[in-house]
Amino acid sequence: MDRRRFLKFAAGGAAGATLAASVPYLEPMLRKPQLKTERREVPTTCEMCVNKCSIIAVVEDGVIHKLNPNPESPRSRGMVCARGNAGLQQVYDPARLKRPLLRAGARGEGKWKPVSWDEAFDFAAEKLKAVKEKCGPQGTLWSSTESFQETFFKSLGLALGSPNVERHPTLCLASVNLAYSLTFGTVPSFDLLNARYIIMSGANRLESFIMPDTVDLVGSTTERKARLIYLDPRFTVTAAKADEWYPIRPHTDLAFILAMLNVIVGENRYDKEFVATYCSGFDKLAEHVKTYTPEWAETETEIPAKDIIRIAREFADAAPRALYYAGRRSSWYRDDFPMRRAQAILNAVIGNWDRQGGMVPNAKIALGEYMFLPWDDPTAPRVDEMDKNFPLAAKGDGAYLKMRENILEGKPYPVKAWMIHKQDPMNALPEQAKTLRMIEQMDFIGVIDVQMSDMAWYADVVFPESTYLERQDPVEVLAGILPVVVYRQAVIPPLHDTKPTLEIVQGLAKRLGLSQYFDYTIDQWIDAQVKELPLDTPLEYLKHHGVYASPDGPKYGTTLKPDHRFVTQSGKIDLYSDRLREAGYDALPVYQTPMQPPAGRFRLILGRKAYFTQANTTNNPWLNTFAPENVLWIHPASARSVGVEDGDRVEVRSSVGSITVKARVTQEIRPDCVFTMHGYGKRSKWQSRVAGAGASDAEIIETAWDQVSGGGAFHETFVKVRKV
Amino acid sequence: MHRASKLQTVSKIIFVALILIVATTLLWAGNEAKGKYYFKQNCKECHSKGAVGGEITPMSKTQAQWKAYFATGKHNKRVEPLTKIMPDDQLRDVQTFLANHAVDSLQPETCGK
Repeated sequence: MDRRRFLKFAAGGAAGATLAASVPYLEPMLRKPQLKTERREVPTTCEMCVNKCSIIAVVEDGVIHKLNPNPESPRSRGMVCARGNAGLQQVYDPARLKRPLLRAGARGEGKWKPVSWDEAFDFAAEKLKAVKEKCGPQGTLWSSTESFQETFFKSLGLALGSPNVERHPTLCLASVNLAYSLTFGTVPSFDLLNARYIIMSGANRLESFIMPDTVDLVGSTTERKARLIYLDPRFTVTAAKADEWYPIRPHTDLAFILAMLNVIVGENRYDKEFVATYCSGFDKLAEHVKTYTPEWAETETEIPAKDIIRIAREFADAAPRALYYAGRRSSWYRDDFPMRRAQAILNAVIGNWDRQGGMVPNAKIALGEYMFLPWDDPTAPRVDEMDKNFPLAAKGDGAYLKMRENILEGKPYPVKAWMIHKQDPMNALPEQAKTLRMIEQMDFIGVIDVQMSDMAWYADVVFPESTYLERQDPVEVLAGILPVVVYRQAVIPPLHDTKPTLEIVQGLAKRLGLSQYFDYTIDQWIDAQVKELPLDTPLEYLKHHGVYASPDGPKYGTTLKPDHRFVTQSGKIDLYSDRLREAGYDALPVYQTPMQPPAGRFRLILGRKAYFTQANTTNNPWLNTFAPENVLWIHPASARSVGVEDGDRVEVRSSVGSITVKARVTQEIRPDCVFTMHGYGKRSKWQSRVAGAGASDAEIIETAWDQVSGGGAFHETFVKVRKV
Repeated sequence: MHRASKLQTVSKIIFVALILIVATTLLWAGNEAKGKYYFKQNCKECHSKGAVGGEITPMSKTQAQWKAYFATGKHNKRVEPLTKIMPDDQLRDVQTFLANHAVDSLQPETCGK
């Protein structure tokens, strides 16, 4: 039900009041009007997903009444999505974390003892010191997800002497980031606003994630009639809005892209001047793609060769306002990286680099830095052995799944303490049984979060963080075609006994003898950051506006100078990569025919909805009403083959576990695939709306990772389905 | 020379070469984070945009060029010893920082910080 309909209902008086009792959405709208004594509007920055949109909090009598969009941001442009609207429930949800907690029963039993901050700090510091004494500092693991205060958390682990910081990109965009970095020396933005021809592989932009890219895409396709070609085994909202939808056979996108290259190069439709000036290794690429014909690709992808040829020609003809969109998805397969790199190469040869409607290197705004003499380097290698296993990947992010394997095997050394910052590895990692085994073997687990996640549920100590509407954060630059500086200030003081991450880190650092690395306030940190902004009173400006945008508009072509040096090994755009070859990988993307599910099994594919941030917001009181439980999408023919009807409860079993959910029999998915949503079947009883509602896909997804980036690969699982 | 003796000699040569390689690597394996701090504290005053020495960033040179630059041990048009700016151990950290972020270095991007 959308907001407009809610408002209509809300006007319905008594009927609305009755409805309000059952639908938490309506309650704030139906409160009796009261005389307000104080009303403030506070510009700040959303934290309900990674996109960091600018918002304005409306505060009445000390209560956040509403979160509005901030029209001053050229990125979010007057837009706040469902998640952004529902953010105030993070503050007022009665089930949020309100004070430090020590575990009072067995791990996962759900018995907690409220304690003071001093008790929580003392307990955690003693445990960390004991593990450091027993295993060395490398025996501590520090896992985090993206937030403006993540830097303080990571710094505590590094200052203690641990090399083991594991970040979220290794479960997300690692293969995309590495593919574009190795090709162009950077990860560009995609100018969807001005593109005329867009191809997307599984990037379900119109349904999975409402962000500026989404808005640009809507504008491009509906107002400016850009052509959208969409490849996905599932009929998503993006498929419904696309000009052409191809239910491609999973794991064959690389064949489609290589065949496009075969046509574009073979028919001399590439941008010869651009390739000659800015690219290296074109001759080797031309030779390499000769065998990848559209006819061959048809047998792999099930997309007719005539369509591949036509799309390739149209794509090249629309250049430079044509792009193969990288999207924001996790890795899918063990060989995900070559597919992402083939996309990058295809974009390069049509010359869409740094052109309007193509790919644009990100513009930035310089910030200052609070400087202090950092810690010594750790003496031990990383536990995930990045140098050996993923020599080209971003070492600071780590490789989560290889890390878990090594820790379970106790190699190359034992890891016995686990600190987690706002991440839920219980749901974020595949094969939950392995995560539980890792938890069992830890001497100590500490979690910082705003809610009792499944990971917090298994912790020994839980540090409650103040929500993003109750704290001030470091300033952040959002690089892009239109770069901005965003500021998050406290809208209201903390409602409960919570602290921002910096203060939690400082409390631990003091007890670990590391205070010298955290001897600053958040104000000092921010002052150092903003002093280089071209403003007379930068902090006052940010407090008043919430966002600073460069007065310059988009700039295209800043790198299109023959002497421009790309940050690559050759100094040009590396179509052929010596760096990959030297590291023992294919220098050009090589296609290997993938394994498809055997008879009686289905490939489990994943996807997202715009109202949920991974597993993080399914319990939000407002957002949960959109989808109270997850179901299994299954094609009618497949359902018939296993004796399942719509609404039946089915067991979904993989080699690592099984779950039970309701079946949704639909033609909106290929017969060889099944699909379910993420973030349900929680173990944490404090997540009462999704504890036991539906099931957690993390229980059945098998462990696999991309071989080059080390990023988790999430579409490698085959499952059996049966009625229960 | 007997075959066994030859093997021993070859083994010794390989061992010594390995020691040299490791020693050379360690010699320049400075602390990148500290290098950034020393660079900003000691170099940026003269090497910022519009300053007397002209702007210098890690991206001003390739890794080989940074190595060659520090091998000279001189700066300010090769007349002043680098050690006049900071001691050897700090120079090692600065070189590590500059080389790790040189214009031809491997810098896979990430999300967030």
